[in-house]
Amino acid sequence: MLRNYLLTAWKVFMRRKLFTAINLLCIVLTLVVLMVITSLLETAFRPSGVEGKSERFLQIVMMRMDSPDGSSVSTTPLGYKLIDKFLKPMPGVERVAAATLPGAAAVYQGERVSEMQMRRVDADYWKILDFTLLAGRLPTAADDAAGRMIAVLNATTAKRLFPGLPAAAVGQHIDVGGQNFEVVGVVEDAMHVNAFADIWTPISTFASSDYRNELTGMFTALILAERSADLPRIQRQVEEIAKTVVHEDPKKWKTTRFWADSKLDLFARMTVGGNEKLDSGASLLLALIAAAMVVFMLLPALNLVNLNTGRIMERRTEIGVRKAFGATSSQLAIQLVVENVLLCLAGGLIALAATAGVLAWLEHINLIAYMRYSLNLAVFGWGMLIATVFGLLSGVLPAWKMSRLDPVHALKGAV
Amino acid sequence: MLRHLLKLTWKRKSRNLMLSLEILIAFAIVFGVAAFGARYAQLYRMPLGFDATDVWSVTIQAGDNGKTRFDAAVYDTLRRGLRELPEVNDIAFSSFEPYSFSTHASDMRRDSKAPQVHIEMIEADDALPGVLGMTLAEGRWFSDLDNGSAARPVVINRRMAEAMFPGETAVGKQFVDGEGPKPGTVYRVAGVVEAFRDKGELAAPVNFAFIRAEAGKHDSNVRTILLKVKPGTARDFERRLNARLKLIRNDWSYQIVPLSTSRKIMMDTRSMPLILVSVLATFMLVMVAFGLFGALWQNTTARIPEIGLRRAIGASAAGIYRQIVLEQVLLSSIAIALGLVLLVQLPLTGVLGESLNWTVFAAAAGLSMGVIYLLSLLCALYPGWRASRLSPTEALHYE
Repeated sequence: MLRNYLLTAWKVFMRRKLFTAINLLCIVLTLVVLMVITSLLETAFRPSGVEGKSERFLQIVMMRMDSPDGSSVSTTPLGYKLIDKFLKPMPGVERVAAATLPGAAAVYQGERVSEMQMRRVDADYWKILDFTLLAGRLPTAADDAAGRMIAVLNATTAKRLFPGLPAAAVGQHIDVGGQNFEVVGVVEDAMHVNAFADIWTPISTFASSDYRNELTGMFTALILAERSADLPRIQRQVEEIAKTVVHEDPKKWKTTRFWADSKLDLFARMTVGGNEKLDSGASLLLALIAAAMVVFMLLPALNLVNLNTGRIMERRTEIGVRKAFGATSSQLAIQLVVENVLLCLAGGLIALAATAGVLAWLEHINLIAYMRYSLNLAVFGWGMLIATVFGLLSGVLPAWKMSRLDPVHALKGAV
Repeated sequence: MLRHLLKLTWKRKSRNLMLSLEILIAFAIVFGVAAFGARYAQLYRMPLGFDATDVWSVTIQAGDNGKTRFDAAVYDTLRRGLRELPEVNDIAFSSFEPYSFSTHASDMRRDSKAPQVHIEMIEADDALPGVLGMTLAEGRWFSDLDNGSAARPVVINRRMAEAMFPGETAVGKQFVDGEGPKPGTVYRVAGVVEAFRDKGELAAPVNFAFIRAEAGKHDSNVRTILLKVKPGTARDFERRLNARLKLIRNDWSYQIVPLSTSRKIMMDTRSMPLILVSVLATFMLVMVAFGLFGALWQNTTARIPEIGLRRAIGASAAGIYRQIVLEQVLLSSIAIALGLVLLVQLPLTGVLGESLNWTVFAAAAGLSMGVIYLLSLLCALYPGWRASRLSPTEALHYE
């Protein structure tokens, strides 16, 4: 049965090559856009590369403080004291790291000024994230304790500042905003929420040590669990810890709240969820993304509906003959839907190849610094799923119309 | 002729409904992008209110999370130390620089009974207009004349003056902040500037106020230094500037950016969404063009017997050609008219506020109508030409 469907579909496609080509082109254009978006989402949220352990760690980026009467709210990154005194001693986790958000820093070399993004991080940061070391070494707890003025560069920065192999940069000195650092290591470029930066230096290299006594400040915390199954427990633990934090000025800020989020949660919290409760709104965000994709498919689907409806008029003789010989309406409808889904899947395959091209081009023009896009099996699966949904969406209406054709009229040629 | 065309279109209404719906959605998409672009073009031509050429900003990062207040001596030391640099022409302090992503907003009112007016503000010292090349429309900038005044002196923009004191001269008037019946701090208007848009050329105008920063008084937290440097100062000045700042305070770090760089970042950030939707809309339009072309081709093929009959009873080739093209134009017009009826609700109900004003609406409607007509014309030309070339004998025999 299916073989018959496929055979008919093939014959129809080959009979009108121009229209098959136009159909395919429309499908490919739509699917390329959707697949590029899917692969961007995949790259951002799937544990891979430098954040390969991300299914096992949580991050705290912001804390929220409310005044006693609830009239004012303050949202800031965490202070170092909060991470050091409250989060690091937390039981049942593998380790906790502190890192600042990336901030602009100028590197001076003679007359040359280079604008860079710098993070100050502690030794645990290097153990939670899996940076690929190209030359030299990574900072250790001993460096933190001694307050050594050392820096780690990524490959692009190392090449910009010290042309040549990555090893050429190790041992060199750089002047960052008036502070002198020795480069001890070069790591591969990385673009992920927690990894992104050009230069990393230890937290203990701050010009003043005031940061140690601050509850609010400019740090984010990374919590690595032993197993990914522990994450919900840790999230509740962090919620409890937040309740025990008392601000230095309890009259001004009464309650403190912060949430340990997975990467998807973090993004959802920033966009739709808000920072008031444990639920980050991730399910709402996913539903919104899915809805946006379906809405985006609407116009292309309508386009395909129009093309397919035109096709039926051409095929009315074929339909009339089949009906006269006893084909049921549903058989004919399935025939058209199968044809359409088949075409969409073929379009999906072409689109996948085109998506690889678009992604390579995006990487080439450096739209997002250090972003490395990859087409993996998951993107392929998502792509095919999108193609099928699209095929069904655009095939059902013409199929219904086709199955309703009266065989007598169809055979006579009247519409 | 028109009645005839309408009748033909109506005869095929279910088929034409789907085509019109497609054109309608395409029209709405083009309208959205055109409105976005037209609004940006409109904003770009509005006065900015300041001149950022040869201005550099230095943000002090004191590592205390903004908690301590600098006293007057700190500002004096910085001012004196920086003035010794030969490149520096003028120095001002403010809570943040133009083209920054920071915003400080608040609700103010004339007195405790008047309605709230939402405004954005920065705190600045007396030297700001000199550094940013601002001119006042009325009154004067705050200065030492205001020392010891009970109310905090402010300079506001014209937009805010009209919102807060409609139909009156704003200079000399007072307003307050705070909520409820208890009035908070009192502000007195010293001057009015014509316009000020600190977020740059592509930002919508807002109610804006400059509040006089007085070291050690109020809750002043002014940590950005704005420097007017000599024209042609190169980027390597940053190193000397940083060294000098480190000499003044070694335990602070400084973030030094020429405003031309901040401006570029701000413009890129604001135009990125427009570029993105334009690319997507272009994809969509290409697709619609192919789809429309295919559908029309099929339509004319299906109507070959009808066309043959018309040719046989005397219609000219040009007549057939005109009929196919005009039918398409008619279909597009119906879709566009319907789209306009729906879209005109946006400025009428004012859901998008000022960003979709009538000028923008008219420009966007005109532009998107042009694009859609051009598109449907292009798609109809070839199928129409093909239909008109059919010889009546062939057409009548076609099956």
